Amino acid sequence: MGKLLEVALGIVTGIGGFLEAGSLATAAQAGAGFGFQLVWAIVLGSICIAFLTEMAGRLAAVSHHTMPDAMRERFGLRFFLVPLITVGLVSFLVLASEIGGVSLALQFATGVPARWWALPVAVALWLLLWKGTFSVVEKGASLLGLVTLTFVVAAFRLGPEPREVLAGILPSLPSHEPAKYWFTAVSILGASVSPYLFYFYSAGAVEDGWDESYLMVNRLTAGLGMTFGGCVAVAALVCAAVVLQPRGIGVDQYDQVALLLSTPLGRAGFWLFVASLGIACAGAALQIALQIAYLTAQGFGWPWSENLYPRQAARFSLVYTLALPLAALLILAGMDVLKLTIMSMALTALSLPVTVVPLLVLMNDPLYLGDHTNGWISNAAVLVVSAIACLVALVAIPLQILGGS
Amino acid sequence: MRIGSEVLDQQAVDADGRLMGKVDGVALRLDGDTAEISAVLLGGATMLWRISPRLARWAERRRWTTATTRIAWSKVRKIGVDVKVDVDAERTPAFRWERWVRDRIIGRIPGA
Repeated sequence: MGKLLEVALGIVTGIGGFLEAGSLATAAQAGAGFGFQLVWAIVLGSICIAFLTEMAGRLAAVSHHTMPDAMRERFGLRFFLVPLITVGLVSFLVLASEIGGVSLALQFATGVPARWWALPVAVALWLLLWKGTFSVVEKGASLLGLVTLTFVVAAFRLGPEPREVLAGILPSLPSHEPAKYWFTAVSILGASVSPYLFYFYSAGAVEDGWDESYLMVNRLTAGLGMTFGGCVAVAALVCAAVVLQPRGIGVDQYDQVALLLSTPLGRAGFWLFVASLGIACAGAALQIALQIAYLTAQGFGWPWSENLYPRQAARFSLVYTLALPLAALLILAGMDVLKLTIMSMALTALSLPVTVVPLLVLMNDPLYLGDHTNGWISNAAVLVVSAIACLVALVAIPLQILGGS
Repeated sequence: MRIGSEVLDQQAVDADGRLMGKVDGVALRLDGDTAEISAVLLGGATMLWRISPRLARWAERRRWTTATTRIAWSKVRKIGVDVKVDVDAERTPAFRWERWVRDRIIGRIPGA
């Protein structure tokens, strides 16, 4: 029975934790610019992240290694530095985006400009990590994150033609603005397949002491959590397609994203938007800050655990203590949160082969997985999606920068 | 024992079960045609040698690198996925930075 509860909690964690600055902003831009046409990118991204999360959990349960441990061991120090630095940099940019998201939520609530909120937000998040344990950070943030289900309610209220939404599941060529279309598709893929998600999940599985008896829990949690989570992102896209596209409103400011909920739900919708944005981004920021600390500590073999006192894992605690305020500085310096978010997501997509292929190699190595190595479906799914994301990003990012939006 | 897959870059755990660092290198004793491991090495200098010998020499000239932790092979055992070493991490240079960060920064913040 304990396992059933864990599955339920895991799925809730997946749903409540799915939406964050990146998936919200990219879904809103997609809906506003192209209606339901880009639903396929969210579907593809969610399938890919479901597979990757399941792999990260399986690796932890069978081999008792976290991903950085296994990668350094399997590929050696020199090669390990490549994913270490790439994942670290990308995660840092996404962390800044999430802190920006929380700051913007506070700006909407108080009228005080977002940049002045960045440092207080970083300090508050740091305090939660300093005092909290792993399950508080993981489960607490995700349970509160269920407020993002408001997007699903709003999407049903707006009552789009189901056939049109479903038609978006099949990829299609854009009728206008091809450069923007592909760039948006790429940033959606980057937002869904964020490496911090499965790195964090793998550290969590080791923190919770998973063994082979957790393989089913892992499969259900990863599969259903990410699939349902993806539905929340699709709901946000639907809201944008119905509310913004017919009015010709493009998303170049976060204020416009608030319309997704305030149009169907009125004043309450506005406050639900503020709560969704603030909580979802705060939860993601906590996870990313921890994940950067996990990655470094595990890569170099330092003592690590969110369940230890900070003095028992000094270097580990130092990493998140530095990462949070440093990321906040980007927002304090006046960087545009929406632009930073979208660009971080596109760079995430570009870096996917580097972050994903080493994991695939590990997952096919019987030395680590024994009888539980990958099947061809999961190999193919992850390989194809990350290859597509990277290739399209290679073309779309320069076009976007040259096009100067 | 295959050095590459069973010792190098594996997690070193000290006598009290503390995570001590990764095995950054091994020292070999050459005896005619055969070589055997005489010690495992932990530390930034060893790590730097593996990343780039040129960079390592450059850092050495500037005395930037910290002392290497050398653990005799007789004190090393392979247990499960980790490399267990029979020493106290706190007393080795491998924990120098951990101690420094703990005493100078993290330990001074309330609630640590």
